[in-house]
Amino acid sequence: MKWRPNNKILYPLIPALLFLLFVLYSLVMSFVESVRGPDGWTFEYYRSLFEEKRLYASISYSFFVTFISVSLSLLIGWGIVRSCHSFIEKSVGKWMVWIPMLFPHFVWGYFVLLLLGQSGIVSSALFQLGWLESREDFPILVQDRSGFGIIITYLWKEIPFVLLMLLPVYAQLPKQYGEVIQVLGGSRRHVFSTIEWPWVKPVLVEVLLILTVFIFTAYEVPALLGSSYPQMTAVLAYDWFYGISWDERSYAFALLFLIALVMGLLSLVSFILLNRKRWLISKSQHQR
Amino acid sequence: MEVMKYMKKKLILFSSLVVLSGCAAGSSQPSSNEDVKDQSWDSIKEKAEGETVSLYMWGGDDGINQYIDDWVKPQLLDAYGVRLERIPLDTNEILQKLETEKRAGQDDGTIDMIWMNGENFKRAKESDLLFGPFVEQLPNYNAYYDADSLDFKYDFGTETEGYEAPWGKVQFVFHYDSAKISEPPATLEELQQWTEDNPGKFTYPAAGDFTGDAFLRHVLYGTTSAETLFTEPFSMELADKESAGVWSYLKDIEPNLWRKGDTYPSSLTELDRLYSQGEVWMTMGYNEARGEVLVKDGVFPESTKSFVLEEPGSIGNTHFLSIPYNSPNKEAALTAIDLLLSPEAQLAKLEPDYWGENTPIDVSKLEEEDRQAFEAVDRGDTVLDQESLMDAFVPEIDAEYVPWLQEKWIDEVASQ
Repeated sequence: MKWRPNNKILYPLIPALLFLLFVLYSLVMSFVESVRGPDGWTFEYYRSLFEEKRLYASISYSFFVTFISVSLSLLIGWGIVRSCHSFIEKSVGKWMVWIPMLFPHFVWGYFVLLLLGQSGIVSSALFQLGWLESREDFPILVQDRSGFGIIITYLWKEIPFVLLMLLPVYAQLPKQYGEVIQVLGGSRRHVFSTIEWPWVKPVLVEVLLILTVFIFTAYEVPALLGSSYPQMTAVLAYDWFYGISWDERSYAFALLFLIALVMGLLSLVSFILLNRKRWLISKSQHQR
Repeated sequence: MEVMKYMKKKLILFSSLVVLSGCAAGSSQPSSNEDVKDQSWDSIKEKAEGETVSLYMWGGDDGINQYIDDWVKPQLLDAYGVRLERIPLDTNEILQKLETEKRAGQDDGTIDMIWMNGENFKRAKESDLLFGPFVEQLPNYNAYYDADSLDFKYDFGTETEGYEAPWGKVQFVFHYDSAKISEPPATLEELQQWTEDNPGKFTYPAAGDFTGDAFLRHVLYGTTSAETLFTEPFSMELADKESAGVWSYLKDIEPNLWRKGDTYPSSLTELDRLYSQGEVWMTMGYNEARGEVLVKDGVFPESTKSFVLEEPGSIGNTHFLSIPYNSPNKEAALTAIDLLLSPEAQLAKLEPDYWGENTPIDVSKLEEEDRQAFEAVDRGDTVLDQESLMDAFVPEIDAEYVPWLQEKWIDEVASQ
């Protein structure tokens, strides 16, 4: 009899658990593939992986693109929500935010390629208008080494995501607390640090994690808009996985497994730290 | 098309993980290799009828795809009652898929035929991924092909031993817009001079792309003595010693390439797009006739013509069809390959309407009527005459140079 309530909680969890099992299985398998050599178990692939110059170029490039994309998305998104969340909650603003959310990343990436390429829509239009002498005068914005095209695409896609994650937080901010602080003579900084920040921080960290993990390892946007060198990690892993040389397939597994490990640990630490915060917030909400 | 390709790549990456778990739906029991080998052609035909075969092949050329979809599919259904499914995929990816199936112990596979040659064949044969030998079971092969030809016996230096059937013969050519270029370069030095005179108007696909790799092999030919490439087997030391000229040539032309060589087109499709939009004035490809259908479809400008480099020449090779060891429909695959090798199919392939590609068939073995039909084909204005092609012809080099050139290209050229 005592089992009943437990089972009731468990049943709806089954799909999620099965899914997790799937993820766990692929993780274990990719690790196995990365240590399985022609003559048994070996860490040789990890050793030679770290001798690849391409790896370091790829990791630092991925880090650069991810850092810029994520921090700008967060700063701009947060700035917009703070300054005009009442507008975005209205229908026109909501639509403007929603439209980029409706398209998958690679469609948006292709759109950016067609829009900003040297023979793209913008350059052709400027050329037709006579503002450009030739289309080659148009600056190189996509498939460039600095990753500009990739970053533009991510900003365009991720700022709306940040907005949509932060909007409910601002809609629920307990404004009366602000009034209390002001009545008691607190400054705006006090309002920010005691009300706004504690509410916003967990969501910001969560979005930061999601975006970092996604951008660091996403394939389609850098594959469309990146240059031949350096490559972002997913593109490099793809090249290794599908290259002619079959040893390199194990590099791909090793690289992706390492990234999964690092990202997993990062998320775990953040969740542990945040959960304490979450708990405090929910407690204060109950007291309210 | 680009978009589809990327979507597909993503799907494959995911699905290969699924395949790893070995949960593919089993269909009818495949015949074991020995069963198929001992059968007469009649009983093969009988077993093939009503089956569906999958042909996995590179899908980056619309003319080729149309040939399969519009000509081969109805003919095969008509002749043998076999349905054909064309699955476009890069050849390395097909082999990776096959390798994954083998590791997962999936004896009832998903691929019935693969279009391949060179380094891919070498890998597949060495890893025991292929069914065979089977070519001597094919009536059309026995009747119309010269089984002693070195072109069929060796594929990039690897012995074929009947594990792949010759399907076509191609030579590497460059395409250029004759409205913009009056006199195309004829040697590697002239090409370098041309890039200096016309900065930004030439580039080649990145190594790793089939065509990009072939371009690199031309540079290797041009900067080393051809003698050593053939007489000595591949070794790292020899390759390192001989290849200094390749990298210095590629680095010398780099500043005058499209985008100053900061990036290279990731595929031939990408280079063709640049050419069709006029960003570059030349493109290239491992098929002397591929320009014809692209001009007809309006992708390439009307003024497109082709040229070969007289020095170091134009690499040509034979490409083949093979059957995976775990093909679920080996009999049907045999009938399909036999049809693809038939004089009718080869003639339709040679005509410029679809593919325009040269045939490996031994024309002297054909019936008089067929022979005349082959000789009467007008391959179109973008195709060089047979004599210029023959004069420039040079054979492929050891398959092991291919991955080696790719690796080195990243280190020596792309990352600089």
